[in-house]
Parts: sequence; structure tokens; C-alpha cells
Amino acid sequence: MGLVERKATHRRYAQAIPGAFAITKRGTAPCRATCPAHVSVQGFIALTNDGRYREALELFKQDHPFPGVCGRVCTHPCESACTRNAVDSPLGIMYIHRFLADTDRASGKPYVPAKKAQRQEKVAIVGAGPAGLTCAYFLAIEGYQVTVFEKLPVLGGMLTVGIPSYRLPRDVIEAEIQVIKDLGVEFKTGVEIGKDFTVGQLREQGYKAFFIGIGAQECKRLGIEGEDYKGVYPGVEFLREINLGNRIHLGDRVAVVGGGNVAMDCVRSALRTGSKKPFIIYRRAVEQMPANAEEIEECREEGIELMTLTNPIRVIAENGRVRAIECIRMELGPPDQSGRQRPVPIKGSEFQIEVDAVIPAIGQETDWACLTDECACTLNDWGTMRVDKVTLQTSDPDIFAGGDAVTGPATVVEAIGAGKEAAVSIDRFIRGEELAGDRKTDWRPVEDVPTEGLPHLARHPMPMVSPETRKANFNEVQQGYDEETARAEAHRCLECGVCCECYQCVTACKAGAVTLETHGQKPETLTLETGAVILAPGFEPFDPSKFDSYAYAKLPNVITSMEMERILSASGPTGGHLVRLGDHKEPKKIAWFQCVGSRDLNRCDNSFCSSVCCMYAVKEAVIAKEHAGDDLDCAIFFMDMRTHGKDFERFYNKAKDQGVRFIRSRVHTIDKVGDTGDLAVRYVTESGELKTETFDMIVLSVGLQTPAETVELAKRLDIQLTPGHFAKSTPFAPVATSRPGIFVCGAFQGPRDIPQSVVDASAAAAAAGEILAEARDTLTVIPEKVPEVNVLNERPRIGVFVCNCGINISGTVDVPSVRDYAATLPYVEYAADNLYTCSQDTQDRMAEVIKEKGLNRVVVAACTPKTHEALFQETLMAAGLNKYLFEMCNIRNQDSWVHKHNPDLATEKAKDLVRMAVAKVGLMQPLQEAQLDVNQTALVIGGGIAGMAAAQTLGAQGYTTHVVEREALLGGQARHLFQTPDGVPVAQRLDQLVSDVSADPHIQMHLNSEITAVEGFVGNFKTTVKNGDQEQVIEHGVAIIATGAKPLVPTEYSYGQDPRIVTSLELDAKLKADDPAIKELEAAVFIQCVGSREPERPYCSRVCCTHSIDSALAIKARNPEANVYILYRDIRTYGEREYLYKEAREKGVIFIRYSLEAKPQVAIENGRLLVRLTDPILGRPVEIDTDLISLATAILPPDNNVLAQLFKLSLNDDGFFVEKHAKLGPCDFATDGVFLCGMAHYPKPIDEAVTQGKAAASRAVTLLARQHISTIGQVAEVNPALCSMCGVCVSICPYSAPSFRAPTERFWPGRAEINPVLCKGCGLCVASCRSGAIHLKGFDNDQIFAQLFALNEAS
Amino acid sequence: MAQWEPKIVAFLCNWCSYAAADLAGVSRMEYPPNVRVIRIPCTGRMSPKFVLAALREGADGVWVSG
Repeated sequence: MGLVERKATHRRYAQAIPGAFAITKRGTAPCRATCPAHVSVQGFIALTNDGRYREALELFKQDHPFPGVCGRVCTHPCESACTRNAVDSPLGIMYIHRFLADTDRASGKPYVPAKKAQRQEKVAIVGAGPAGLTCAYFLAIEGYQVTVFEKLPVLGGMLTVGIPSYRLPRDVIEAEIQVIKDLGVEFKTGVEIGKDFTVGQLREQGYKAFFIGIGAQECKRLGIEGEDYKGVYPGVEFLREINLGNRIHLGDRVAVVGGGNVAMDCVRSALRTGSKKPFIIYRRAVEQMPANAEEIEECREEGIELMTLTNPIRVIAENGRVRAIECIRMELGPPDQSGRQRPVPIKGSEFQIEVDAVIPAIGQETDWACLTDECACTLNDWGTMRVDKVTLQTSDPDIFAGGDAVTGPATVVEAIGAGKEAAVSIDRFIRGEELAGDRKTDWRPVEDVPTEGLPHLARHPMPMVSPETRKANFNEVQQGYDEETARAEAHRCLECGVCCECYQCVTACKAGAVTLETHGQKPETLTLETGAVILAPGFEPFDPSKFDSYAYAKLPNVITSMEMERILSASGPTGGHLVRLGDHKEPKKIAWFQCVGSRDLNRCDNSFCSSVCCMYAVKEAVIAKEHAGDDLDCAIFFMDMRTHGKDFERFYNKAKDQGVRFIRSRVHTIDKVGDTGDLAVRYVTESGELKTETFDMIVLSVGLQTPAETVELAKRLDIQLTPGHFAKSTPFAPVATSRPGIFVCGAFQGPRDIPQSVVDASAAAAAAGEILAEARDTLTVIPEKVPEVNVLNERPRIGVFVCNCGINISGTVDVPSVRDYAATLPYVEYAADNLYTCSQDTQDRMAEVIKEKGLNRVVVAACTPKTHEALFQETLMAAGLNKYLFEMCNIRNQDSWVHKHNPDLATEKAKDLVRMAVAKVGLMQPLQEAQLDVNQTALVIGGGIAGMAAAQTLGAQGYTTHVVEREALLGGQARHLFQTPDGVPVAQRLDQLVSDVSADPHIQMHLNSEITAVEGFVGNFKTTVKNGDQEQVIEHGVAIIATGAKPLVPTEYSYGQDPRIVTSLELDAKLKADDPAIKELEAAVFIQCVGSREPERPYCSRVCCTHSIDSALAIKARNPEANVYILYRDIRTYGEREYLYKEAREKGVIFIRYSLEAKPQVAIENGRLLVRLTDPILGRPVEIDTDLISLATAILPPDNNVLAQLFKLSLNDDGFFVEKHAKLGPCDFATDGVFLCGMAHYPKPIDEAVTQGKAAASRAVTLLARQHISTIGQVAEVNPALCSMCGVCVSICPYSAPSFRAPTERFWPGRAEINPVLCKGCGLCVASCRSGAIHLKGFDNDQIFAQLFALNEAS
Repeated sequence: MAQWEPKIVAFLCNWCSYAAADLAGVSRMEYPPNVRVIRIPCTGRMSPKFVLAALREGADGVWVSG
């Protein structure tokens, strides 16, 4: 997926509430993770790429004070770690920050970081090398008084005296040190601690902490004979002399011993001081040299010989002066402890080379003269300082150390990293905080950065002075990138971390919602005590990239159904405009391929049906036609059309009527048609004909699958999965996993659509509620109520609060002028503007202002009431005002955001809207929300599976529940069923359920009973239940309709004329009774869709395909030789029921398809039972001689009319109850307090009936769990004096709120009245009332007119 | 003379069109600033009197959406 480019900072999706932004972080980029100073590398590179060099440099300097120095001499571990290595070559990271530093230096106004508040504590830094300088830099920023003591006359340590200026020019070092001076750091050069001052003396002078960064400046000795002859110069000393300006000529032939950067610097410096043939002696091979590859290369360019696998064994002198060096050849032996191959001398290979000088450069050590007795620090065996690895604290608490003095000779950037960490420690030490604390130590880089197929982009080489020119002098060799090159190089970044951590969002966010801490958020491990766990991890769409034949990855006009959903969405990438992604052409022909990643074991492992794809493909085709017009040709290639959901078959039929083509064929290949972007499809029709058709676009209807991480989660939770990786459950406990207390809902329970997921969710909540019932309300906190001030008959005193919303409003609308304008409006006592009106401090202030100024009406001009009205109303209540004395004025979503190029008119509009809101709010009255008690009793109508499941859940949660069942027995239709698809006899589980429900003391059974009358409304129903002649009135707060369904008695296929022709349920009875005749069957025929999917009954009965296949398998199990046929129109074994279909085919059940136009014919001829039909594949008539015909009869709703009228519910055209919302309210009714489950809703198998039963109970508990229900205040009210009793309101109200007063009432008999409990405040009755007798509080005529009258007052 | 600009009063249903107008803002769509929205609880609340009043108050167009 990836239809649009989005930044790391983004809004999840347009409709997201709250519409907050998120930052996508994949993790820490390898460059940053590897850098010892952890510079935000990706960040400064992104800013450089964006041309924001100053910001880039500032970002660098947050972590590291030497971008210019490290831009020249860094060993750049970041580049070694760069993900681009996997593509071509790493980014020139150091070259880019060198460019930034050079640009900053050339600007004349170099960046100096801002210092925090000044602090009085003094800190001493010993050694002005990179570690000490860095420590000083960060402590100075923290505000400390920092003094740096340096033994040498110059600053910079090894940077200055160890690295030759042709690599690192002095002015670069000086410029970056100048910044540290500008930060107020004091430098004392030529001062040797331990000699001129001791640490003890400095302590007495008030220094609170010390940082020892004295480096390792003493050259290690070669340890060979003749090392003290004249002409042997230790490497570091040689470099120091040259760098201090003392010119030394060593002679022509100079042997430099070593393979590190110091050795390279020595040999190249020797060349530049006039030696003709300086060369390197190194005991290992070139590959093992620790020096930078660039420097080795530059050596070679300058003609310097690298004598590798050679070790000096003796310096030979003449007259006390070096004449030659004796060496021995080496070879690489087995690896040593460091993993490198150990060099081993080759016996007898000794040889001598004539030399004028020898420079040992094999490493350095530290001179510890500074450590006088008063220091408690200790050294370790290698002669380096012993420190805590994380905090760098030595054994003496106020002394910290870092750099080469701790690590032995290492790199500049490691020293910088140490200086930075030590500064953090010293700051914490002085503040008395815990040193290690929550310091970030885990810098694991991201690993899963995709690099496949990325285009190669060559690394930009560093421009250099030619070897001929550079050899003779100490001028800088590398010339640096120019701007264009730096940006081009920055452009190569792969953005490994997604968020580049440039922290520009932190600066930009006026609300302070994004901070550096936000960026540092880490996954946390929380331990929660819970009584139940509900798993709702969802699914992932199948990735079709692996199907080469569909070329999804290669052809842009082959998309997935999920992408199609986005393209059809108004908030999608094309704004709802239907175009091809490849070329933005409007398609004329679109094809959908079904079962991509479903019902497929050949090309993937998903043999289940994903349940939802047929319906969504039909929906997409219909919507596509709505978008593009009827001429759009839509073709759906499918195997079986599975529209088994409620009202889905109707939709399928309608799609056919609208011209959507349905082609029963599985397409094998998509070919592109030249460069047109069009796609040719070859397919075989059912009759075997090969066809080719060209489409503009192809949509792959991808299936649902459980993501690998969810499978992992299941393992961790120790719950069992099905073969398709869904959570395993049983039909009678469908939301319970294999582990008690863990429940499941949604697509992880099996592939399913929205309504079923919502039902599942409620059921899982109910299942959890059953085991948590005792804990209900034990953790509830009830907020304190502020007494309401009486404002009746007060003159309006209006407060107007205008919001800037950061810059969201003030960026377009002139907020101060709107505020000032508001202050001039009638009755306005107070007007103010706020940066963020919704922030907690503004809310508190607002409540104070209301009280101080005695405001009695409030207008907030800000965002939208849809998201924020409730928040501001709470503030009103906190100030003692009735929450309805409030009006919100939408000057963001409907003004500043949509008119950003029209600031003047947007400001005018804001003023208009404020004026209208002020006019309205003046007329607002305090409204009361009616409260009514909820009778904590439930009534369940219907004692089938769903009804019992509901009752069981309610009983388990402690609510008294009445179950009314028409029959003498509980169990409903399930009593006739043989077994569940998992092979367990239904009777067994059903009996258990019946006995559980019957034994529950909370549940009262009313068998042989019917409902005859219902009075009341949500919370307070009175229902009359009739049992024979006896009537009983039950008072209850909620009702659950679970009246079930019944089987059709067929009139076709010669039913009733022969005992061998039975219905599915009659066959179940035979199977239950283990009828011996079943074993004797030679042939059996199942005919599907008997009465379903017919013009007079255009719905699918959902369960019959699975049921017939299950029965067919039962016959095969008893008699494997029997010929079993299933005559079908589409096999609808959705979800994992598909396995049964597969098993049936494997076991030899023969499936023959028929069409509605050519139904099978049943004949009884001479005692033979014959079924005739045309085989669609062979195209020839088939006659089956059979011993049994099983008719899969339709499921019919019972006559629900009476119940529907009693509870004021509606029925659909098929006679099933209509739920509140097909997707989001599948168990609710528009009528409050009444809920729906089981086959009264739609035909469904046992597991779904149990789920919906539990779900309906769950919905009911949302009311029962409350003692009272509060209604809304904005309800309609009748003025009975004006009512003409016409009855329009009574008939028109969707919620049955209006009714006539009884004729016997003393006041206003027969006039209309409105029950505020049922009223939803829609205002339909108000607009319809011919007498003007009804008022809608909060949206009354005078209030709306006031808004209208205020339209033009200003202009 | 400045170009004539119509003034349009929109009655939007709280549950659909008003939310859609919010979403237009969230999506940063742009449209001319000539519309003044009055939020109503449902278009069922809409009365012909509101349309007449709007026109009488000088509105050049009335838009009811829900």
C-alpha cells in the first residue's frame, strides 16, 4: 500500500477524531545509533536536503560541537553503518556536515548555542582536547562556570598537535573553539595540573567537579634494540613539533612504523617536510590497517610505499645515529583474541633497509602526573583511568574522565562522545541527581529498512588537490563539497528512521504537545491487573505481490481492493475521483478478481474463504458506477458469489440490474497491452471457451489473514489457533478462546464483516462482564457536582472567548479584531482571545472569569462543537452554569481552514458567525435533563439458542431476567439440529445450556406464554405475558427480542409426495436417530436454495450450504460408497466452513451447479426417484437415480407483526426485524431499551446466534448497569393550549416520543405530549406541527430566527 | 464597483452535513467564504419559515443539507 506520499508527521486519516497528528518512527537510523556522539544525522541531512543549512548546523550542534573538525578527520562509523551500503555506497555524511560547518564559518556570524540560566558552580576541565572541549561546551550551555586547564601553549589537544594541517587546518579548529569561548568558557594554557595546581587546590578554590581529558600523548616504545639512537622520533612528538611550527627534516629515507592514522599522518608529514622516500612498515596486511581507507588511499596517491607484513626487530646505528632498520617478514597466522589474524614471523626472512630516521607510531599512553595524592582515582592494568562505563565517574566521586585517557588511543568522535556523556554526569552530580538515571544507553539501529529495487545513486566524490600540488606543502587536501553537491549527496539518504529527528516540529508546535521527550518515548512495559482479556487484533489484507501472474507489484493499474476503497473515498488520494493510479486516466472498464489470497492452497496457504470480499467487490463496482456514471463497465470474476449477509443478496441482484457483469471464472494471467497501461485478461468460461478481454484497471479482491505478529501474540498468550490462524473457539462459546478468561472478537475470530465484528465485540464484552460482575462499579469515581446558579430572569451577560488555536485560526482570521468586535455586541460583558481555548489552564481561567464577571451565557468561537462542545460545557458546569447556556461558533473548520487564501473575508465571516452565536445564546435558557430510574430487570422474548444465551449472560451478571417462550420447551429450532460443523451433537450442548439457564436463580421461565401488551418505555416497561388463561404483568427495564425463525414448508420438488423427499431438518432427525436406512443409501441428492434467493424471497438463508455439506459428509461417513450429489447455485461456505466444502469434494461428494432459470426436476417414475438437470460444465442433461432427496429449505421469519407493533419496531420486506444500524447497531433498535438477537434478525448458525444473544445482553447491560438514565436537554415540548390534536407528531416521530394524553385526564385531555425520555431532539415534530404548538429547546424558532436576523446587522 | 458576491445561508444537519463541512476543513479543502452555516439538529427541524426569513434578511440563496 502506498497511494500517497506522506511526511513522518501526519494525521492518521481525514476523519480521525481527535484529529491529532502522529509521527512515524521506524527507530533510530543506524548512522545516529553508531555515532559515539549520537548526532541526529538523518535530521541534519534532511534539513540540508531542504536547503535549511542553519537549522541543520544547529541540530548538529545539539549533540556535537565540532562539525567542521569531524567533517575532516572523523573515522565516520556512521558511514560504515549507512543502510545505503546495501544499495551502492554510503552517504558522505562527514562531507555534508563539513559543508554545514564551513558555510557557518564563512557566514561571519557563526552559530553560538543559547545558554540556559546561569549557574554559580565552577567546573574544572583538565586537557583542552576534543573530550575536554566537548565537556566544557555542554556544561557551558547548562550555565556552569567552566575553566579549561591545558598543559600546552595551544588549545585543541591532538586535533591541533597530532593531526597535520593538510588534513585539519588550524582555522577550522580555532573557529569551533571560539564558539566555546563565546559560551563563556575560560581557558588557561601552559598550566599543568599536578605541577602548577593540584586538584586539591582547585577543590579549595570552589571547583565542584573535574573532568580529566588529558589524552594519551606519550608514544609507546617499539621495545626493540637501538630505539634510543639519534634519528628515532616518536610519532606523536614528531607531529607535535611540526604542528607547533618547528620544522624538522629527518633525511630522505624515513621508516614510519605502524598502521594507524598517526602513522599515516607521520609519513605524509615527513613527505611534506622534504623527505624523499618516507614509507610505512606494518606487521599485518593493508586490510587490517586501522587507518581510514581514505588516508591510506591518499598516501598511495602521494607515492608512499606501504611495506606490510613486515616487523622491525632492530635499529642499526652508526656513530650513534640511525643508519638502517632490520626487519622480518611476517605471515598471517590463526586469529587472536580480537578476531584479527595474528602476524607470525617467517623464520630466516630478516633483512635490512637503509634509513635516515625511524618514527615509531604504534600507539600512545597517558602521562598521569596530574593525579596527585588528593585524587582517589585509580588506574587499570593498561594504565588508563578506571571509570563507570555509563557515567564516566572515576573512583573519586567529583572526578570524571573520558577520551584517550580512559580508552587508550581512540578516535576524535569517541572522545567527543565521552565529553558529552561526562557533561551530563557532571550536571547531575552537581544537582545531586542520580547519575545513571534514565540515560539513553540503548542505541539499537533499525534493521528492517527496505532497500530492494532502489535505484543506484553514485556517492559524490570529495574534490581534492592533486597529489603533485599537495605533496610539497601543508595546505588542505580535501576541498569540501559546494552547496549543490552537499544537497545532492543529502538527497541520497534513505531516511531509515522515517522521522529524521530534526526536531523542527518541537520548535513549530505552539501547544508544546511535541517535545524532545515525545521524540524520546520508548516502549514501556506495563503490568496491569485484569480479570479478563479481550483480543481484538484484527487482520491484515493479503499481499498479492507474490502472485507473479497478477503482476500487482509491476503494473500500476493492478490494485488491491483496499486501494480501490481509498480511491473511491472522498477523503482518499484522488479526492474520490475515480482514476487509474498509473496515468490518472478515467477508467472505462474495471475488472475485479475474487478470491485473491482466499480459498487458495496452490499459490498461498489460505484455504479459508475470507467471507467479505464478494460483498465488498459488488459494493465497489456499484459505487464506481455511481462515481463514473452508468457507462462504466464493471466485471467481477468469481467462483461462487457469497452474498450471505442481511440484505446482501438484494444488493447483488440490484448490481446485476445496474449492469455489473458477473463472470464465473478464475483468471490466471494479466498481460499488459503495450504501453497503454491497459490490461488484457485471458480466462476460460464455464463452458470451456477461452476468452480475452481488455480492462483499464484490475482490482484484486484480497482476502483477510491473521498477521504473523498476532500469531506470535497467540503463542505468548497460550491460546489455540485454527488451521487458518484464527482464534479457536466452539459454537456454543464463540467468543471464548481455549484459555479461560481470554476472549476474542472481530476478524481474529474468523474472517468477518463489520456487523458481525460489532456483534462479536459486544459479546466478548458480555463474556468478560460475566466473570467480572462482582467487581462492577468498584473502581468508579464520581465527579463532584457544582451547584447550579439560577440565572432565570437575569439580563444576559455574555462572555465571548475567541480561540487562536495556535496559528490554525489566527494564521488566517484576524483574531484580535474579532475579539474586539465581539466586545461591542449587545449583552457582551467580556471578550477575550486565547492561544488554545481547550487547554486545561484556559479552561480553569474561563471558569474563574465566568464567576468573576458574573457571566450567564458563553460563546466560544473556536473549532467545531462536534468535538469540543462537551468539553466547554463541562467548564460551564464547573463554574456553576447550566451547560445549555452555551453556543459554539465554528471559525476554524468552517472558516480559517477553508478560506486560508482569503483572510479578510474569513475575518468578516468570523465576525458574522460570532454575532449570530451571540444573538442566539442570549435566548438560551437553562435546560434540565430528565432523570429516570431504570428497572433492573430484563425480559427476553424467545427461548431459543439466542434468547437463552442472552438470558444466561444477564443472569450471570446478576440481573433478574424473564424468558418468555411460546413453546413448552426451550431450545427453539436448535432442537431439530443434528450436529455442529465441528461434529459435536447439538442436543448435548443444548441440553447443557437449557439446564444451566433453568438452574440460574436470576432467570424466570415463562413457557407456553405469549406477549399480549406492552406499556412504557426504556427503563420502565410493563409487559403482559399470557399463559393459557392467566395473565401476568412483568415490569422490566429492557427487552430482548429473540423470536427466532422457522423453516419453509416446500411446495416444489415433489415434496410431500414421497417419504424419500425430505427437508434438511427432517434429514437431521434421521441422522440424530441414527436411522439404519442412511447406511443403505446408494445415492442421495441435496438440492440447495429451496425457497431462498427466489424473486419472492430475495435473501440467502446463510446456513443451508454448510448444513447440506455437513449432512452429506455424515452420509459419506456412514456409507463411503454412497453417491452423494449437491445441486447448488453458489456454495456459500464462508470463513473456515470452506474446509468442509473441500473435505466433501475430497471425499467424493459431487457438486453440480444449476441456475434459477433451469432448476433441477424431480420425478417419481415406477418407484424410482429421479433428479434431472443440465450440467453447466458438460452442457448436457444429467439424470440422477437417487434414494433420498434433501431439500435445503429457506428460513422464514415468524409473524413478527404483533410484537413489532407492541414494541414499536420495524420489519424489513422479508419480515425480519430492522436493527438500529446495519453496521454499527446490529443488536439495537431505534427504540431505546429494546434489543435484537438470533434469527429474528436474520438466518444464522448456532455460533452466530449465541454471539448475538450475548451481544444483545451486553447492550442491555449498558442500561441496566446504570441506576438512572439522563436524557438530553434539547428535547421537544408541546404547548397543549395550542395543540389541535391533529396527530401528525404522533405519526411522524421515528422514536415514538409523542402520544395523546388520555381522554380521561383532567388537564388537556387528548392533546399531544412528548415523552422527553424518548425524544432525540430531531425537531421533526416541531417543523411538522401545524399549530406551532411544539418547541424544540435549544433550537427553538426564536433562537434560529435570532441567528437569521443577525445575518446582516454588521454590514 | 466591486464584483457582486452572493450571501448564502446554509442549514446543515448536525449529524451529516455539518460534520462534512468540518471534514472539508480538516481536509483543507477551499471554497468561497460566502456561506453562513446555521447548525440544526436534523433537517427534520427545517421549517419553510426559516427559508423565507433568510431570504427576507437578504440571503441570496438558502442551502438545506442533511
